[in-house]
Amino acid sequence: MVPGVIMVAIGGKSIMDASPQVIHGIVDQIVQIRDAGVPVIVGVGGGERARHTFAVGADLGIPPAGLARVSGGAEEQNRDILQFLLAPYGAVTFIKDHFQDLQLFLREGMIPVCIGQPPYHFWEPPPEAGNLPDNGPDVGLLMMAEVIGAERVVLVKDVDGLFSKDPKMCADAQHIKKISVSDLLNRNMPSLPVEKEMVRSFEKMLSVREVNIINGQVPDRLFECVVGSEFVGSTITR
Amino acid sequence: MTQQFSNMQKDTHKVLPDVWVVKIGGQSLMDRGRAAVYPVLEELVAAKNSGTQFIIGVGGGTRARHVYAKAMELDLPTGMLAKLGGAVPVQNARMLQMLLANDGGIMCYPDDFEKLPLYLRTGCIPIMSGMPPNEFWEKAESGSRIPPNRTDAGVFLMAEFLSAKGVIFIKDEDGLYTDDPKKNPDATFIKKCRAQDLLDSEQDDIVVERAVLTYLRRARGVRQIQVINGLKPGQITAALSGEEVGSVIVA
Repeated sequence: MVPGVIMVAIGGKSIMDASPQVIHGIVDQIVQIRDAGVPVIVGVGGGERARHTFAVGADLGIPPAGLARVSGGAEEQNRDILQFLLAPYGAVTFIKDHFQDLQLFLREGMIPVCIGQPPYHFWEPPPEAGNLPDNGPDVGLLMMAEVIGAERVVLVKDVDGLFSKDPKMCADAQHIKKISVSDLLNRNMPSLPVEKEMVRSFEKMLSVREVNIINGQVPDRLFECVVGSEFVGSTITR
Repeated sequence: MTQQFSNMQKDTHKVLPDVWVVKIGGQSLMDRGRAAVYPVLEELVAAKNSGTQFIIGVGGGTRARHVYAKAMELDLPTGMLAKLGGAVPVQNARMLQMLLANDGGIMCYPDDFEKLPLYLRTGCIPIMSGMPPNEFWEKAESGSRIPPNRTDAGVFLMAEFLSAKGVIFIKDEDGLYTDDPKKNPDATFIKKCRAQDLLDSEQDDIVVERAVLTYLRRARGVRQIQVINGLKPGQITAALSGEEVGSVIVA
C-alpha cells in the first residue's frame, strides 16, 4: 500500500503515562523523523487507564470481548493528546474509516496518529489464557503495518528491549540485541515487554521484516533507531 | 403575524414527564466494581419491571481524573480535557449496557437521544454517558482547566430538558454533607437545602458538581435533585417510589 513507511508504536504506560518531558521528547523526535524524509505513522496504546478498565470490567464479569470493546476508549484519549501536541507539525487523527485514505495524508507530509487496538470489539476471540483480550495495541499496530506494507515497526517502550528476565525485577537479566521471532517463541519467556500475541502474529507475516523495541524515555533513542545506523534496543527479525 | 407570538414566558412543554433520570456514579459506584454495581442494577431492574420508567446516565471516575491530570500536565486547554474526559463515561455506559442487556439495557448516544420514546415504549432501559456533548466547546472557568460541565451536569441537563419526573444521583454517601465526609469525620448531614444557599456557603466539597446547582436555580423542567447512597440496599427503590430518602436540593 505505502512503501517505505515506518510504523512507530508509542507505549501507553511507558510513554503517555510518563512525564510531560518524556512525551515532549517523543513528540520532537517524531517531527524530526518526518522532517528527515521518513514517512511515519504513529500508533499509541492505552496504558494505565486501559489497565484500570480491564480491572473494573473483569470484576464486573464483562466477557473478554466486552473488555475489548471498551478498552479502546483509553487509547483514543492518548491518540487525541498526541495528535494535539503534534498538530502544529501536521499531525492528523487516523481512524479506521480513513484507512484507505492513508496516501492522502502521507503525500501531503502529514503525520497520521492512530490507536493501536484492532477493531474486533465484540468479535474478539477468547484468550489463550485468563480473562483479558489477547489482541492489544502491539498486535493491532503490527497488523496495520503489515497491510500498509511497512517493513519496520518500532515499539517505543520504557525498557531497552528484550531481556532474558524482567530487568525491572532481576538485576542479572541479560539484554538480547537481536533474535529471530521463531527463536523468541521457542524460548517461551515468562515476561515480555510486548504482547505475546504480537510475537505469534509476527511469525506469520509477509511484509513486516523487523520489529525494534527501544526505551523511549531516554532522549534521542527513537530518532537514532529510525534514522540512525545504530541504536540501543532489541530487534526481532522474521 | 407578530400578534401570534409574545415574549411573555409560557409554560414549558414537558418532553418526558413520566421518566426518571438516574445517574450511576463513576468514582462512587462503577470504580468499586461488582460489589457495588450489581446490587444497584438489581434494584433498578426490579423498579423497571414494576413499571417505573427511567434512563440511566453514567459517570466517569478515576480514569477521567487521571486523564484530566495528564492533560493539565501537558497544558492542554479545557476543550481538549472535555473531549478526553468524555471517553470514560462511554466505557462505563457500555459495560453497564452489557450487564443490563438481558433486562433491556440499550446503549443510547447523544445522536440517538430523540429515539428515547422508542427505547422506553419497547421496554428498554436507555443507558447513556453522563457527559454533555460539549467537547471542544466546553467553556473554561477561571482558576481551573477542568471542564465545569461533567457527568453530574450532563445528567441534570438531560433531566431538565425532558422535564423528567425527577433526577436521582446515586453515589456512595448518604447524601449532602457540610464537608466531604470521607475526609472530615465532623461533617454533618444536610437533608434538604436550597441550591442558592449551598452556592452562597462557598462550601468547597459538594456532593454534586457546582454547575448542577447553578443550573438548578434557573431550571424549569426539574425543580429539585436527590442524592442517595447506592451502597445501601433499598435506597434506590425508595427514591423511585417518590420517597425523599438521601438529600434533596431544591431550586
